[in-house]
Amino acid sequence: MRRLLIACGVTLCTLSGVAAVQHVRSGTAVAAGTWHEIAWPFPRDGWPAGRAFRCDAEACGSEVELYVRPKIGFCNCDTGVADDDEVDRVADLDLMSQRFVPREAGRVIKISDMAGRARSYDLKMVDGSDHTAVGFALSHRCDLMVAVAQGNGTAAGVRRAAVDFLGTNDMTHWMSAALNGG
Amino acid sequence: MKSRAFGTALISIAFAACSGVQAQQQVIGAPPEASNMKLVGYNDLQGRSAYQPTIHHQGDRWIAYIGHHGGTDEIPDPVNPMTGKAEPNGTSIVDVTDPAHPKYLHHIPGQEGKYEGGGAQMVRVCDGKSLPKGDPNAVYMLRAVGSQGHEIWNVADPANPVLVTRIGENLKDTHKNFWECDTGIAYLVSGAPDWRTRRMTQIYDLSDPAHPVKIRDFGLPGQEPGSTGGVPTELHGMISTGPQGNRVYFGYGTDKGGIMQIVDRDKLLNGPKEPTAQNLRYPEISEMPMSAFNGAHTTFPMKDMPIAEFANDKDGKSRDIVMIVDEAILNECGEPRQMVWFADVTTETRPMMISNWTVPEASGHFCERGGRFGSHSSNESMAPVYYKKMAFIAFFNAGVRALDIRDPYHPKEVGYFIPSITAATDKRCVPVDGAQRCKVAIQTNNVETDDRGYIYIVDRANTGMHILELTGAARKAAGLP
Repeated sequence: MRRLLIACGVTLCTLSGVAAVQHVRSGTAVAAGTWHEIAWPFPRDGWPAGRAFRCDAEACGSEVELYVRPKIGFCNCDTGVADDDEVDRVADLDLMSQRFVPREAGRVIKISDMAGRARSYDLKMVDGSDHTAVGFALSHRCDLMVAVAQGNGTAAGVRRAAVDFLGTNDMTHWMSAALNGG
Repeated sequence: MKSRAFGTALISIAFAACSGVQAQQQVIGAPPEASNMKLVGYNDLQGRSAYQPTIHHQGDRWIAYIGHHGGTDEIPDPVNPMTGKAEPNGTSIVDVTDPAHPKYLHHIPGQEGKYEGGGAQMVRVCDGKSLPKGDPNAVYMLRAVGSQGHEIWNVADPANPVLVTRIGENLKDTHKNFWECDTGIAYLVSGAPDWRTRRMTQIYDLSDPAHPVKIRDFGLPGQEPGSTGGVPTELHGMISTGPQGNRVYFGYGTDKGGIMQIVDRDKLLNGPKEPTAQNLRYPEISEMPMSAFNGAHTTFPMKDMPIAEFANDKDGKSRDIVMIVDEAILNECGEPRQMVWFADVTTETRPMMISNWTVPEASGHFCERGGRFGSHSSNESMAPVYYKKMAFIAFFNAGVRALDIRDPYHPKEVGYFIPSITAATDKRCVPVDGAQRCKVAIQTNNVETDDRGYIYIVDRANTGMHILELTGAARKAAGLP
């Protein structure tokens, strides 16, 4: 009987944990009409797939898609994200296209307790269309959280929508857990 | 005291018996784990985290030059007992003429910094008499010093090294250089400030080490200044076969998206130098991409290997092979397995992977021991004692592994040595639920061999240098008496 009770307790705790994760993930979808989680659209590369989201034009000014994932062990522990070249290298723009040109110098950015850089680009998509992209590279000890937002709106608009979303409680909670082994 | 020790031993045994996994955890005082390899000598390297050792025969002495990573959070600058001063990790110089009694001669401090930052990781050594314009009485040591640049020291008296020259400054990084001792041409892994990558190649003529002459910068198209779009993965290191072989084998991508690049040395040195995409492509013979899961830390060429299985074939009896070793980066198996690969590059424009090898994880429950498990590097000596017969692979918490590679299509392990940990062995941690969970395990980082057949392994977790020799079947496979 004692063993059965223990087993039930373990099962309940596990289900609660799963439910909690589900709650965090579904909560990230926020209200209808803003950001919705979508399937990770890229083939497997050296890093595990991350999470992908879409914001419709009504909510974000223009349709924006955001792709975010951790890259564990991929950052200089001492210097963090040191320069714009690093954003070019790590921010996953090349998942969408190899053809991107920076619009301007990047800028320092801080989201939650992670500091890094963000940079905007003109992105030539594989279908030939021109999009705007903003790459984010944020460091946490020796690890990176990278994100890239892309759409056909202005760079400022895409960046603002992405920063606002990445700074939400749900996203910062998820990013922290992803980087801290949770 | 005796009963206390007995009690401690009883507790240790009971603890080990409780779990087969926990029994694999290294404990201080436990003997090394070994097969067909035995310990000959040891030096603690002043408790400094170690990188590539280079063993040089100079005069009637054998001297080991060992690079170091930066310090630790607890001990950023270990005290050098020879000077009494705290010194940032740099280069250790150890007399290994008598390998059973290695003698620490000198420590040259490096750049301030911790772990991957700081230190002076890579070392190469050339005799002045072998260089076209060197001082014949000098012995030159080239070392990479973090982001400070590169330095050349005269180590003719290894206990009293003298700085000769500095090369480069304000670089993003430096790393695994290569120096041709017969020509003086040096391929310096550098991070030129205007290149889009942390590490690329700066080629210098160091035939007169006191007067370096820059030849060119080199890298993969997309890394050069002014390029846009995707940035190819960064350089790790290279090995040249000199003017006779006329090839340089570059390895890019330490633990992910590896690329082995085969380059025509003559075109590299004498072709157009301006770093345009076209000029960077000009000397390239081929690029072999690896899986996105694996990198190319070491690319070690072995030309013209006879393959017993093909002895009766009318063509292709011998093959040109490159052994590629990845580097494990994350602790406790946090990434795809990094291991050893063998590529057939006989038809250079169509290189192909033919085999791979890894330590079986279950043979030591290595993913649970702590620290990194996976390959890092190989010995790089081409001395006849082992070249094209045996390869020694540093495998972090699995120690050093001796491979019989006479049939590169079916490499097989013939020996191993996992050193014991000591009180100096640094912990390695992983984040678990927001907290750091740490374990202590050996982290065999690099390995080199000398012409006498001794094997030198150095530890990343501050345990020091172990000098080994082969025994039993491994010694027989190597053809040693």
